[in-house]
Amino acid sequence: MAEEAIIRFDQVTKQYDDDTIVLNNVSFEIERGKFYTLLGPSGCGKTTILRLIAGFTEASKGDIYFNGKRMNNVPANERQVNTVFQDYALFPHLNVYENVAFGLRIKKMKKAEIDRRVNEALRFVNLSGYESREITEMSGGQRQRVAIARAIVNEPEVILLDEPLSALDLKLRTEMQYELRDLQKRLGITFIFVTHDQEEALAMSDEIFVINEGRIQQSGTPTDIYDEPINRFVADFIGESNIVPGKMIRDFEVEFAGKRFECVDQGLNQNEPVEVVIRPEDLEITTWSEGKIQVKVASQLFRGVHYEMLCYDESKNEWLVHSTKKATVGDEIGLNFGPEAIHVMRLGETEEEFDKRLEAYQGAGYGK
Amino acid sequence: MENRARKLYLIPYVLWIGLFVVTPILLVVYYSFFDLNGNFTVANYEKLFTPVYIKMILSSFWYAFLITAFCLLIAYPAAYFITKSKYKQLLLLLIILPSWINLLLKAYAFLGIFSTYGAANSFLEAVGIGTRQILFTDFSFVFVAVYIFIPFMLLPIFNALDKLNPTLIDASRDLGASAWITFQKVVFPLTIDGVKSGVQAVFIPALSLFMITRLIAGNRVITLGTAIEQHFLITQDWGMGSAIAVFLIITMVVIMVVTGTRKRGVQ
Repeated sequence: MAEEAIIRFDQVTKQYDDDTIVLNNVSFEIERGKFYTLLGPSGCGKTTILRLIAGFTEASKGDIYFNGKRMNNVPANERQVNTVFQDYALFPHLNVYENVAFGLRIKKMKKAEIDRRVNEALRFVNLSGYESREITEMSGGQRQRVAIARAIVNEPEVILLDEPLSALDLKLRTEMQYELRDLQKRLGITFIFVTHDQEEALAMSDEIFVINEGRIQQSGTPTDIYDEPINRFVADFIGESNIVPGKMIRDFEVEFAGKRFECVDQGLNQNEPVEVVIRPEDLEITTWSEGKIQVKVASQLFRGVHYEMLCYDESKNEWLVHSTKKATVGDEIGLNFGPEAIHVMRLGETEEEFDKRLEAYQGAGYGK
Repeated sequence: MENRARKLYLIPYVLWIGLFVVTPILLVVYYSFFDLNGNFTVANYEKLFTPVYIKMILSSFWYAFLITAFCLLIAYPAAYFITKSKYKQLLLLLIILPSWINLLLKAYAFLGIFSTYGAANSFLEAVGIGTRQILFTDFSFVFVAVYIFIPFMLLPIFNALDKLNPTLIDASRDLGASAWITFQKVVFPLTIDGVKSGVQAVFIPALSLFMITRLIAGNRVITLGTAIEQHFLITQDWGMGSAIAVFLIITMVVIMVVTGTRKRGVQ
């Protein structure tokens, strides 16, 4: 395990001169050859992590290791990482070929070798034949590819991508998501991708770090994070959620909205107050009498793939429902859901505590 | 209708250019073909290539070059520092402020500072070097000229540096370039247009300096500007003065073309 970690943050804190803390005691490991995403709202510290890895800024406290060596004081130009910038940062005075060749020329590589590698990198990003184009003649998507080619041509161990898709329109963005993911698999290089777009993160990553207020809230595979958010922030930020207050009666039984339900969570104290998460797509519309909870439809929007309904139960809890079935505003309907749809969150539980509890389940023979 | 309105707006421009640019140039060209007695001749131009004038031309170029070079050496780092500073606007204002003061006043101020009993010599005395002749030397001439021209060099460079996208510097470092290589390969090429504008704004006027050569260099330095002034005001040889002026105008055009700015998307 330890051998595989290519980058390791050990209790890293970043604080600006005016005392603003952007990163608060962050520790994590990045393994070789995986696609990582740092996900969080703007100002959460995700870009700071990237800049710390690239060497554009220095940690106030803590250590940063590359392949086991401390790198805090190694300048950016001596690090084995390359960055794809948000605004691409292509050199406007150089053409496509020279932009891609920039890093190789600095390494004083032979002309033939530069030629071979630049052409290969451009082929990789489907830009063969564009060598002598000026940057100003390229479209947004093409610039994006040049920026990627300029990074991969140096064969770095890690590529950092700082919200590289945010400037593209929706269709191109989706296309580039596939391309980036594919590129990462073909190259086998570690990608660290920064975004505030949860769909992007879920679609592309092997592993996601959800970051908020300078701390890593949760890390895990996309499905882990989506299915088992550890707190209100993660549940809310990743996808849409209904979060209602509840009480854990005993293992496998939780109370919310004035009723008791069967669930799959265990290892909590009896009668412990909790928060219950149910995803809108896990709620099924049925008749008043057949529903597990009864709600009144307050509003409805057609979203294309589904209808989105906002409903309220008798305890005034808000329920967001995604359904292919249509309801009528003002109607009283029932909502149905299975025990697996219920996810129970302990109040103020940290990631370590959460992981420990999960392990305890598995120890008890509960195959998660 | 719109066309007529546009023609109306054009009048001040055409008048200005016609009266103050085209007419004087035509007059200067016209005068340059007459000798002292009013006879048509090309002798004025022939004289330009005699050793006396060639020496004068070379010395003009040499001093203009020196002044431009020193301005650039001082202004580029200064502009760089200002763009990085928190007090950008204030520092810029402090640099520009002296250029609002009349040139003659500044020249006279330096007469006082550099004179035998002036501030500069008092300082040299105090540190034990002793009084020197500062005024009427090449040094004082270049010094004062550089002082006067620095804002004109600094402003265009500052603007170019200020427009430079700072992520480009990060990108260069990220790709393995040291700070010095980043300057050579990214910062300087992307601000070269500012440098060219600055060089134009300093070199061209420096070629035809005459007042500072007179006051500060005590006519020890004879430039083309001084020569023109002397011919028009002292020897009354308008023809020769005009020929030198025509030569200067042609030189300026050549410099403008050589240092001409190409539009480039600096983002």
